[in-house]
Parts: sequence; C-alpha cells; structure tokens
Amino acid sequence: MFSIQDEIGCYMACISGSGLLPIISASVLLALLLFGSYLGAKGPKVRIYSFTAAQLCMLISIGMVVSSMHCSRMLSIEIYTAYAIISTVLILFLPRIYYIVLIRRYGARPIAEIMEWPQAFVDSLGKMEKSPGTREVYYYDSAVPRAFASGKAIFLSMGLLEIMEKNELKAILAHEAWHLRHNTRTPLLRQLSMITFTGNRSENELEIMADIFAAELVSKNAVESARIKLG
Amino acid sequence: MVKLDRINISNEGLTKFFSPIEARIMTVLWEEGERTTPDITESTGIPLSSVAGTLDRLVKAGYAKRTVDKKENRVRYLYYASESMDSTANTITRKVLDSLVDTFGKVAIENFHTYNKK
Repeated sequence: MFSIQDEIGCYMACISGSGLLPIISASVLLALLLFGSYLGAKGPKVRIYSFTAAQLCMLISIGMVVSSMHCSRMLSIEIYTAYAIISTVLILFLPRIYYIVLIRRYGARPIAEIMEWPQAFVDSLGKMEKSPGTREVYYYDSAVPRAFASGKAIFLSMGLLEIMEKNELKAILAHEAWHLRHNTRTPLLRQLSMITFTGNRSENELEIMADIFAAELVSKNAVESARIKLG
Repeated sequence: MVKLDRINISNEGLTKFFSPIEARIMTVLWEEGERTTPDITESTGIPLSSVAGTLDRLVKAGYAKRTVDKKENRVRYLYYASESMDSTANTITRKVLDSLVDTFGKVAIENFHTYNKK
C-alpha cells in the first residue's frame, strides 16, 4: 500500500544514511546560485549557459538522490524513471520525424514551385557549416504571416511571402536556419527542463540568438522590419 | 463565423450571417471583384492581423476563393467571391428556409404563404 509518509521517511533515512547529503546540499545550493546568475545576466548566451548549468546541477542532485535510495518498490522513483524515459524519447526523437507530419498537415509544397531563390539561399547557408545537412524550404496555403522550422524543414506561409521584402525574407530564412542548425542541441534544453521541473526559459534567448545571426548575415534593419510586420 | 448554424437574427444586415469582419471583406469582394490582400486591408480599413485569419476562414468555408499570382519573383494571393452576392443570398435563404421547414413543418409553410400575400 502506497503511503506518502512512508515514502518521505524512506527518503530521509536513505539520503542521511548514504553520506551523500552534504554533496546533494552543495549541488542544490550551486543550482540556486546559478539560477540567481541567470536572473541577473543580460546577454542571451550567458543566460542560457547559467540556466543550463543550474539545470545540470539539479539533474545531478536528482541523480544522487535516486542513487542513494535503497528502499524497495519506491513508487515516486518508478514514476519519475518512467517519466524521464518517455519524455526523453518524445523530445529527442519526435522532432526528427515530426516535420513529415507537419508537411502533410499543412499541405506544404516545396517553395521552388513558386520562388527559386529561398531554397538556394538556405542551401548557401548550409554550405557555410562544418557538417552541412539538407534543409528544405516549404510554403503552405494560409494568409496568416508565419514562419517556423522543424526537423529538416523551414515552413513559410503564403501570407508571409506576400508581405515581406526580399531582405526581410532572407532574415527570416536565416533566423529559421539558425534554429535548424542548433536543433540537435535545443531539444536537450527542453528535455533538461522537463526532467528537472524547471520550465523552459531558454526559448526567448534562442530567438534573440537566431535574430543576432540573421542580423549579422543579412542586416539588422531587415530583422527589425520583419519583426514589426509579424507584429 | 461563416456558419449558418450560428445565425444571429438580432444583428443588422450581413452580420446576421457573417462576423462583422467577414461581412466587410465579402462586401469588398462582391463590389470590387478580384482583390489582393493589401487591397482588402485598404478597402476595409481592417489591419492585416485580423484580415488574414478571416480570409483563411472565408476560403475554407467556400465563400471566397484565391489563386496564387507570381510576378517578378514575388508571389501574392488574388481573392474573389465564389459566388455573386445574389447567389450567396439565394444559398443562405434556401438553407434557412429548409431549416425552418425541417423544424416547424406546416407552420413554417403557412407563414411563408402569409408573408407572400403581404
């Protein structure tokens, strides 16, 4: 029979008996300090690094707590382990194939059918990388201006193509290409947030970093005017 | 919403059957013919953020149609009404009458006759 009191008693006994309590406390304290540094930091890179370091400290603390447990049939540990495994599989592997679902859902078509330069522009960005991969640009039928990236594809709505000037569109493509370039690492940030219960606070920073990349590659004005048009 | 199951008889004019934005867009398409998205925002005075989603809904509901126009390495939508205003009025009237007869049968038909005599 499951009892919260028994579980808490188990945690108290196992953690204090394992001798890991000082290290766990130090790790939690370090995580709190890093969260504090995240809140105080201004640059997007420093914010992401300090937040990720804090999450890693939290993960180490959780790992030490789990490893110090010697009670049998701990329901909370079993639930957490199942949650960690399922969320890892979903977050790390689903995005790799989800873009295929998106192509079908939006009825997306290769952009080369209506415009040639966007695909060539994205291909040229790929060549600048150490390990270039294929990135397809798709458009889909909607008047609502929107752009997003998933898996190996960039999606642009027709409404976006209608209202953007060439430079603005280049900035958007560069922004989305930056997301794709980092899409092996960003799901890790999401997963860290899931398994440490700290919430995903890196999205804004990632958007800022993608904008900085687009501004360097195209122009700051193009990024800003595209942002204004997208409201 | 462009759904005849949401008719609001207390509203004025076309807004009985369409939302105010939908009504203004459809009026532009009926009166001015083929129009681009910027033309529609200009004629209606409604910002793009509201017009875009509404245009998607009108196209999905079948009241408006659009084609993709490619010009000098740029693309744009061209919108037009699927049917004339009279045909749309005919479709709506028929659906409403069918619905009334379905629900009230003889009473509805007697009322049509009375209304006709007036």
